[in-house]
Amino acid sequence: MEKELAVEAQGLMKRFGERRVVDGVDLAVPRGAIYGVLGPNGAGKTTTLRMLLGIIEPDGGERRLLGAAHPRDAGDRVGYLPEERGLYPAMKAREAIAFMGSLRGLSWNEGRARAGAMLEAAGLGHAADQKIRRLSKGMAQLVQLLGSVVHRPDLLVLDEPFSGLDPVNQEKLEALIVAERDRGATILFSTHVMAHAERLCDRLAIIAGGRRRFEGTVDDARGTLPSRVRYVPRENAGVAPLLPPDAEPDGPGWRFALPPDGVEPVLERVLAAGHGIAGLTIERPSLHEAFVRVVGEAAVRSEPSA
Amino acid sequence: MSARRTLRQVLTVARRDFTATVLTPIFLLFLFAPVIMGSLGAVGGLGAASATDGSRGQARVVAIVPDELARSFAEADLRLRAAFRRDEAPPALATIRTGRDPAAQARAAFSATDYDAAAVLYGPLDAPVVLRGPLDRASARYVALLAREVLADRRLGTDRPSVTVREELFTRRGASAGGQGQSAFLAVFGVFFLTLFLAGQVVGTMAEERNNKVIEVLAAAVPLEAVFLGKLLGMFGVAVLFVAFWGVVLGQLSAFLPPPVAAGLGTLVPAVGSPAFAALFFAYFTAAYLLLGSVFLGVGAQASTMREIQMLSLPITIVQVGMFALSTAAASRPGSGLALAAELFPLSSPFAMAGRAANRPELWPHLLALAWQAGWVAIFIGIGARAFRRGVLQSGSPGGWFRRKKPA
Repeated sequence: MEKELAVEAQGLMKRFGERRVVDGVDLAVPRGAIYGVLGPNGAGKTTTLRMLLGIIEPDGGERRLLGAAHPRDAGDRVGYLPEERGLYPAMKAREAIAFMGSLRGLSWNEGRARAGAMLEAAGLGHAADQKIRRLSKGMAQLVQLLGSVVHRPDLLVLDEPFSGLDPVNQEKLEALIVAERDRGATILFSTHVMAHAERLCDRLAIIAGGRRRFEGTVDDARGTLPSRVRYVPRENAGVAPLLPPDAEPDGPGWRFALPPDGVEPVLERVLAAGHGIAGLTIERPSLHEAFVRVVGEAAVRSEPSA
Repeated sequence: MSARRTLRQVLTVARRDFTATVLTPIFLLFLFAPVIMGSLGAVGGLGAASATDGSRGQARVVAIVPDELARSFAEADLRLRAAFRRDEAPPALATIRTGRDPAAQARAAFSATDYDAAAVLYGPLDAPVVLRGPLDRASARYVALLAREVLADRRLGTDRPSVTVREELFTRRGASAGGQGQSAFLAVFGVFFLTLFLAGQVVGTMAEERNNKVIEVLAAAVPLEAVFLGKLLGMFGVAVLFVAFWGVVLGQLSAFLPPPVAAGLGTLVPAVGSPAFAALFFAYFTAAYLLLGSVFLGVGAQASTMREIQMLSLPITIVQVGMFALSTAAASRPGSGLALAAELFPLSSPFAMAGRAANRPELWPHLLALAWQAGWVAIFIGIGARAFRRGVLQSGSPGGWFRRKKPA
């Protein structure tokens, strides 16, 4: 396995009862990258992350975290925000952060000092000495996130970090993720919200039905679908035979997949026939569309044949 | 993974549990629970004592004798009564002049309204008849003894030999067999009482982490064995604080013990000597707490609701009482096979070894026993953590330890 990878997994497998929840997932997360694990609900994202972190043991496959054969050996260099947020309600925010830091090797006093500064920077300085039970859900979530980075980990694993956050706090979280990456940390996070992945991820994997269906950059994912051409003629009558066979009416114009030889031959034909161009746009597919296609195909593949 | 790192994580978890328990108003209630318990006990005890005293105050041993013997009976009663402690003395003596039908008088004495006859003597002194209630055999013997005394006085008169006694206080140098036996029982009872009071608290501690989902954070950062040990040590810290507080309080109060009680305590000399016994007592309290606590923690961690945890309190108490009974039996038969079994069985070992410290002077078995018990604490924590990992975190393969081979 390569040394510059922060997370490596080969053939990870996990069964719950007779069901294979994760079925041979491979991952290779480069150091210093923001890496997204995308997938629909129940795809096996959380189980994959829990296996990578050593919370549960895989039934098959190998994994390495920051070069360590067992995740626990890299424990002090890893930060983790679980999907189900958990803090002691009676703890004060500053202590909760220091506590999580001390679990990862930070001294209590240093943890408290850093917690104070981090809460100030996150705009939560006023809540430093408030008990967790008095904080709003979003504030508590932010406190837990700060707790997962207080020891300045080399790898930050976030499971559905944006769920339950309002747009303002989502933006704060995105900024924090980018700041952690800029500090040199590797970020591995799971989500089923494409917008965040599209904005943040250097690379991503799409998991569906317990298997990895795609791995690459956001552009690579988009590239799994052809771009779409939207053409609006000046004179619409009789233009259809000149367009590609998949062209479909779309308001006053037409929409079709970008042909392999480009849009130019089509344009030459319609211009030569005097239909003119009132509007022309080439739309790249979104990550959302790529995701839906990958996951949809996976769903079709996993359906039992009649 | 370094032992130092694990130790640090254990202490982090322990400190969190300790402070979360101690820095709450409920802890004060817990700390002063013995006062409440003692007050209720005192009120109940006073009521019971008052009822008993009232009943004892009404009870009488009755002698139906001629007038000329009444004084002799009173004098004999005065002499013999001096041999009894106040709370062990027989009922007061009442004399009734002999009438025509002493047997009828005796029966009538049991119907008297101004006293309760425990035993009634009538007839000639050398062959009296004593009527008694079903539970008053001792009273009957006492009133018969009075008759013998009076008869001896009458027959010997001034020839009755007198004895001049000189009492001297003697303090035994070594431990008496009885004192050791009592020390053994008190040691077993002391360890049992403290663990009964304190170790059961451990059972629900993992519920907090399960309910507020902190377990996921802990499990990702810390080996579950360290989480379990940390929680156990945290709660043990609470127990030590409790014991230290009450140890100091009772130590101060012991200065006010009545001299006979203090002297009685002085006879409780354990075989290993008092300083070593004190150290061993604490060591076995620690071992008992950690052993039972690790079992309770492991079992309690499987419970997902408070109701399930509460349901566990009965079997927990039964286990503790069972270990106490086994160890008490072992303490009363030092060196027997039963004692050896109790000393070896992990859950009863601390109790039985505390008893052994009172009964037998060798120290080396205690080192072995403590190592043996520490090993079992590690085993129980390992089993509890593994069961938690499989049952709650759903780690491991289906079937787990007890995977059955399918027929080919």
